[in-house]
Amino acid sequence: MSGSSTPPIQPPVLDPGQTFGSVTDKISSIVLTKRTPLVWLVGFGIAFSLTMLLLYSIGYLVVKGIGIWGVNVPIGWGFDIVNFVWWIGIGHAGTLISAILLLLRQTWRNSINRFAEAMTLFAVACAGLYPVLHLGRPWLMYWLFPYPNTMGLWPQFRSPLVWDVFAVSTYASVSLLFWFVGLIPDLATLRDRSKKRFSRFTYGILAMGWRGSARHWQVYETCSLLLAGLATPLVVSVHTVVSFDFAVGLIPGWHTTIFPPYFVAGAIYSGFAMVMTLAIPLRKIYGLEGLITMRHLQNMAKVMLATGLIVAYGYMVEAFMAWYSGNPYERYMIWNRMTGPYAMGYWALIFCNVIAPQTLWFSKVRNSVPVLFAMSIIVNIGMWLERFIIVVTSLHRDFLPSSWGMYHPTAWDWSTFLGTIGLFAALLFLFVRFLPMISIFEIRQILPQAEVTEPPK
Amino acid sequence: MSRDFDVSPELARDIGRLSSRARIVGGAALMLCVFGAFVSPDQFLRSYLVGYMLVLGVVLGSLAILMLHQLTGGAWGLVIRRILEAAVRTVPLMALLFLPLALGVGRLYKWADPALVSGDPLLRIKSAYLNVPFFMGRAVLYFAAWYLLASLMNKYSAEQDAAGANPAAEKLQKLAGPGLLVYGGTVTFAAIDWIMSLDPHWFSTIFGILVMGGQAVSALAFVIVITVFLARRKPMCDVITPAHLHDLGKLMFAFVMLWAYFSFSQLLIIWSANLPEEIPWYLRRFNHGWQWVGLAIIVFHFALPFVLLLSRDIKRDNRRLTSIALWLLVMRCVDLFFLVAPEFSKDSFAFHWLDPMAPIGLGGVWLSSFLLQLKKRALMPVHDPHLEEALTRP
Repeated sequence: MSGSSTPPIQPPVLDPGQTFGSVTDKISSIVLTKRTPLVWLVGFGIAFSLTMLLLYSIGYLVVKGIGIWGVNVPIGWGFDIVNFVWWIGIGHAGTLISAILLLLRQTWRNSINRFAEAMTLFAVACAGLYPVLHLGRPWLMYWLFPYPNTMGLWPQFRSPLVWDVFAVSTYASVSLLFWFVGLIPDLATLRDRSKKRFSRFTYGILAMGWRGSARHWQVYETCSLLLAGLATPLVVSVHTVVSFDFAVGLIPGWHTTIFPPYFVAGAIYSGFAMVMTLAIPLRKIYGLEGLITMRHLQNMAKVMLATGLIVAYGYMVEAFMAWYSGNPYERYMIWNRMTGPYAMGYWALIFCNVIAPQTLWFSKVRNSVPVLFAMSIIVNIGMWLERFIIVVTSLHRDFLPSSWGMYHPTAWDWSTFLGTIGLFAALLFLFVRFLPMISIFEIRQILPQAEVTEPPK
Repeated sequence: MSRDFDVSPELARDIGRLSSRARIVGGAALMLCVFGAFVSPDQFLRSYLVGYMLVLGVVLGSLAILMLHQLTGGAWGLVIRRILEAAVRTVPLMALLFLPLALGVGRLYKWADPALVSGDPLLRIKSAYLNVPFFMGRAVLYFAAWYLLASLMNKYSAEQDAAGANPAAEKLQKLAGPGLLVYGGTVTFAAIDWIMSLDPHWFSTIFGILVMGGQAVSALAFVIVITVFLARRKPMCDVITPAHLHDLGKLMFAFVMLWAYFSFSQLLIIWSANLPEEIPWYLRRFNHGWQWVGLAIIVFHFALPFVLLLSRDIKRDNRRLTSIALWLLVMRCVDLFFLVAPEFSKDSFAFHWLDPMAPIGLGGVWLSSFLLQLKKRALMPVHDPHLEEALTRP
C-alpha cells in the first residue's frame, strides 16, 4: 500500500527509518512527557487575551445591541456574514481531508487529517457565533428551530437562512463525531502510556474502554467508513447552502447560478491554505518534519492550485456573464466592483487568489517551505477579501441611487473578528497540548512495518 | 502475465464487423437526415444540433478524462486510456460534422436574424458578442484548441510506447494541467455559443460547467460500454477485472451526481429569484407537456442510476453496468433534447422523426470511425510507470 507503488519522482510520504515505536514515542511525547515549549506559552497567552477581547465584545454587543457594528441600510450584512462565510469555508478542508481522501484511499492524508479535523471544529465554532450574534437577541436563537410553540410561529422554510441552521448544525455534529471516533484508539495509547494518575484517568474515560481487540478494530473500521460516507456530502452541501444565502435572492452580484460549485471550491481553497498555515509552523516547532513531509506540502499546494483555478474560473464567468447579459444592473455591478469605491479590494483579491497562486505551477515554489507559507497567508487574506467584496459591493449600490451608501466597520467589528481569530488559535493551542495532533495509529498503518508479506505459495 | 496487448486477430475481426455495422446504420440514418434537411431544413438543424452535441460530449469528455487521469493517476485510467485516445483522435471528424451547423446559423439562431435584432434593444446590445463572423471565428478557435490538445496527448503517448522513456510521461503530465484549463475555457464558451444562445436573452453562469458535467457522464458511459466489449475478448480479457469496472462505475456514479448537483443548483436559483430574463427559459420547460420530459430526466438520468450505482455488485457486473451506461447515453440525448427543442416549440410538446434519426446517424458514423482508430494501437500503454499497479489491481 505504501511507498512501493509510487514512482521515484515524488518524495516519500514519510521519512524512512521509522517504526511503530518511534512514531508512537514521537507523537505521544509531545502530550505526555516533553516540556511545553516557550512558543506555546507565549502563543497561548496572546490567543487567550484575544479570546477575552471576544468575550468583552460580545458582552458589550448584548448590552447595547448590534448598533455598535457598522451594519446599516443599505449594507445590512457586514463583517458578521463575511467572517461567517470565511470561517466556515476554512473548515471544509478538514472534512475533505478526513472523509473524501479516506474514500479515495489517499493514505498521505494520515499525517494531516487529525489537526485538519480539529481545525474544522474550531473554525465552525467561530463561524457559528456570527449569525447568532447578528440576530440582535442571541438568547432567542432557538426560535430558528422549528418546534411546536404557543405563539404558533414557524421559521420560513423557503429561506436559505433556515437551511443554513440545519446545514451548519449537522456539519458541526458530524465533524465532532468523526473527530472523536478517530481519536479513540490514540486516546487509549495515551491512557496506556501516561504516568500520572489524573491523565491516565481522564484519557481512560475518553478512550471509552478501547482495548484494541480485533473485534474493536473491525467495528471501528466500519464505523469510520460510514462516517466518512456521511461526511462527504456535507463537504458539498454546507457551502452550497451558504452560497444559496446569496444566490437565492435577486441582488445583482449575489444572484448567479455558478455560486454553489464556486463557493465549494473557494471553501476548499481557503481551507487548504489554513491547513498549510498551521502545518508549517507546527512541524517546525515540534520537529515533525519526518511525519508531515514535503510530499504533504506539495500535495496541498497542488490542491490549492486546482481549487484556486476553479475560483478564478468563477470570477471570469461572473464578469463575462454580467457583460453578456446586457442587463444594466448586472453590468454596473461588475463595473462598480472593478472601478468603484471598493476597487482596491477587488484587485487585491484578484492578486491574492488568482495571480499570486499561479507560482504554484512551478515545482521549485512547491518545494520551498517559506514561499508556501507566504502563499498560504496570501490565499487566506484573498479569500477573506472575496467574501467582503461579494457581501459589501453587492449591497452598497442599491437599485435606487438614493439608497446608496458605504460600509464602515467599527472598532467592535474588528475586535470581534480579532477575537474569533484568538478563540480559534487558543483552541488549537489547547488541542496541540492535550491531544495527539497526528493520528498515531493511522501513521502506523502506512509504515513499511505494517505491510503483511504473504508466505510463498 | 503476457506483455502483449496488441489487438488480436479475433478482436480486429469483431471490431471491423461492429464498425461496418455502425457505418451502415449510421449512414442510412444520415441519408434520411439529408432527406429531412431538404423537406424541413429548420427541423433538421435542431435535431442535428442535439445529435452533434451528444457525440461531441463523448469526444470532449474523453479529452477531459484523459487529462484528468494524467494529473491524478490511478489504475482506473490506464485500462481505458487507449479508448479515450482513440475517441479524441476523432476531433477532425467532429470539425467536419460541424459544417451543417455553421452553414445553418441563420436558420438556427435568432440572434443571427438582422430583422429580429434590430427590433430588440437587448439583442442589439448583445450583438457585440452574438454575431455571425465572431461566432465562426470562435468555433474555429475551439476546434483548433481541441485538435491541438488531442494530437499532443496522442503524440506523447505514442512516444512513450515507442521509447518507453520517462520524458514522454512527464510531457503528458505537464500538458494535462494547462490542457484542462483550455478545455474548461473553450467548452464554456462553446456551450454559450451553441446551446445557450438559442434563447439569446437567457444567461446562467453555471451553464458551462453543467455542460462539462454532462460531457463527463457521456464519455464515461461510452468508455464503460467499450471497456466491457474489449473485456470479453483477447487480449483485454486477461487485464480487466471486476475491480477496474468497480472503479469506473464509481466514477460514473460521481459524475452523475455532479451533473445533478449543477442542474439542481441552476433550477433552484433561477426558480426562486423568478427574474424576467431568466425564468422564461424554465417556464417553457415547465408547461405544455415539456414538464414530463423534465420529470423523466430527474427520474431516469439521476434517481434511477443513482440508486442502482449504489450497489457494489452492480458496479462489478459486466452486463448490468453496461446496461446502465447505455441507458445513461440515451438519457444524455434526452437531456440535450430538453435543452434545445423547447426553444423552438414554446406552446406545445413536439417530437419529430428527425429527433432520434440525427443522433443515430451521427452516433453510428462516429462510432465506426472511432472503432477504426481503436484498432490502430496496442490496447495498453506498455511503458507507463503505473502499468504494474493497473495489471495487479486486486
